[in-house]
Amino acid sequence: MPTATRQIAWVYDLNKCIGCQTCSVACKVLWTRDEDEKHEWWMSVNTQPGLGTPKNWENMGGGIDAKTGKPKPGHQPTRGEFGGGFDFNYHEVFYGGTGGKAHLEPQAPREDRWAMNWDEDQGAGEWPNSYYFYLPRMCNHCTNPGCVDACPTGALSKGEFGLVLRDEDVCMGDRFCMEVCPYKKIYFNYERHVAQQCIGCFPRIEAGVAPACVRQCPGRAVFVGYLDEEGSPVYNLVRKWKIALPLKGEAGTGPNVFYVPPLSPYKLKDDMSIDYETPRIPPEYLESLFGPLVHQALTTLKSEMDTVRNGGSSEMMKTLIAYKWQELLGPFTVDPAGIEQVGSAAGG
Amino acid sequence: MKVAKVSAPAAELADPAAAVWRGVPSESVSLAPVPLAAQPTEYIRQAWANKAYGRTSEAMVAAASDGQRLYLRLEWEDDEKPNGEFQDAVAGVFPADGDAPLATLGDANKPLAVWYWEPGRAGPLNLTARGPGVFHKDNSAALSANGALNERRWSVVISGPAAAAKAGKVGVAVWNGSNEERAGLAAVSRDWLKLELA
Repeated sequence: MPTATRQIAWVYDLNKCIGCQTCSVACKVLWTRDEDEKHEWWMSVNTQPGLGTPKNWENMGGGIDAKTGKPKPGHQPTRGEFGGGFDFNYHEVFYGGTGGKAHLEPQAPREDRWAMNWDEDQGAGEWPNSYYFYLPRMCNHCTNPGCVDACPTGALSKGEFGLVLRDEDVCMGDRFCMEVCPYKKIYFNYERHVAQQCIGCFPRIEAGVAPACVRQCPGRAVFVGYLDEEGSPVYNLVRKWKIALPLKGEAGTGPNVFYVPPLSPYKLKDDMSIDYETPRIPPEYLESLFGPLVHQALTTLKSEMDTVRNGGSSEMMKTLIAYKWQELLGPFTVDPAGIEQVGSAAGG
Repeated sequence: MKVAKVSAPAAELADPAAAVWRGVPSESVSLAPVPLAAQPTEYIRQAWANKAYGRTSEAMVAAASDGQRLYLRLEWEDDEKPNGEFQDAVAGVFPADGDAPLATLGDANKPLAVWYWEPGRAGPLNLTARGPGVFHKDNSAALSANGALNERRWSVVISGPAAAAKAGKVGVAVWNGSNEERAGLAAVSRDWLKLELA
């Protein structure tokens, strides 16, 4: 594993993500437009709590055992568990002549239907205390990537910028990477017979352009940058203020995508008065995703927000609000309109 | 085993059901799983520590040549379980360099040439194997293949340059898709089958 490379990292502020999926679509139109990639969502945003994509991924195993350092067996996600990539009955709806009788539907039996965000906005809890938040997910470009070690052909590597990159000419489609990945963010292309996943917009990064997911986010909810760049938003959020946390850190692969955990409204009591002691998103649920440091992170966030509410100033809040959009992009501020683009993502 | 010298049209020889193959004697080879300890990554060794693989015990091999190409006809029995994410596959293997180990599909220093076929891929793959699943795609040899499944028996013909027979021996590897076998998780012939050009 190369150690001299700097590590790129992402930070998603879950207090700002509105689940608009612009990041997911930005990635898709750039990288997975081909017919054989229809079902692949290298960037995806799920509703938590929820089964997400692939369906029930949190219980599919994989990862690295913290005590032994050995990789843990994982489930091979099926095409059906990813779902999506449906054919639709456009012709019937638009030209079939049956008026309102034909509805646009996935051409798959109801019991087989699942897709990237199928359970979007369902969440959990009972009215008036239901709750959910959005969780953008992508390849975590882990520091200790189980996928790289599991691959028998050497198709995967931990490379430049700290990205996990792959060679489709070498990949035999063995898919041990998919089993060991605890995040289940590797997809299989059944036509090309290769495993595919987010490449961190590597060609853009090389040209100094921020990844599409970061640049396109209308909510200014995601930061990118080098983890070791002191004074940068990513460094401050992860290492200095420690309010950006890894997802499922106990999986042992050292993910480099971090999350500022979501605050939530207070619960309402039975008499509809506000329970100022209890947030609607159960802290234990957040701990199950982001680990025990999540409680301090939320306390710190609330404290900094209070400081600003009371007329004080907070570097942390200034960073998170991102008054200047460019601050989200780290050192990758080149405008993609100005660089030469080669090849086509659509149809070869 | 003799490589039968045949002068039938290529299209006939390429068809495992063609009559020409009835005149070519086939031999049974006994298969055994590639050892777990030889699997190239810790993940594979962990994940398959308690899972049996490579239980296809036998394959039938026949070989013919029209002077230009070597045709390998391979036949084996599939199990009754349906395939899910992985397909059945078969390969004819030749030593690329003298005494490459067959049981591990080659090693780092002694590779095998592998003629690999799997339904659902665009065509057969010409691979260099340096261990179980340590495969590298080599585009140089022009391979062709046809396969058919009849009542749980696969029969496949893979053909390539006749020069492959000069290695003087051939082995077989079989992957059972319903058991999620791929890479080094295969049943491989216990011994090389000698190839004698007729």
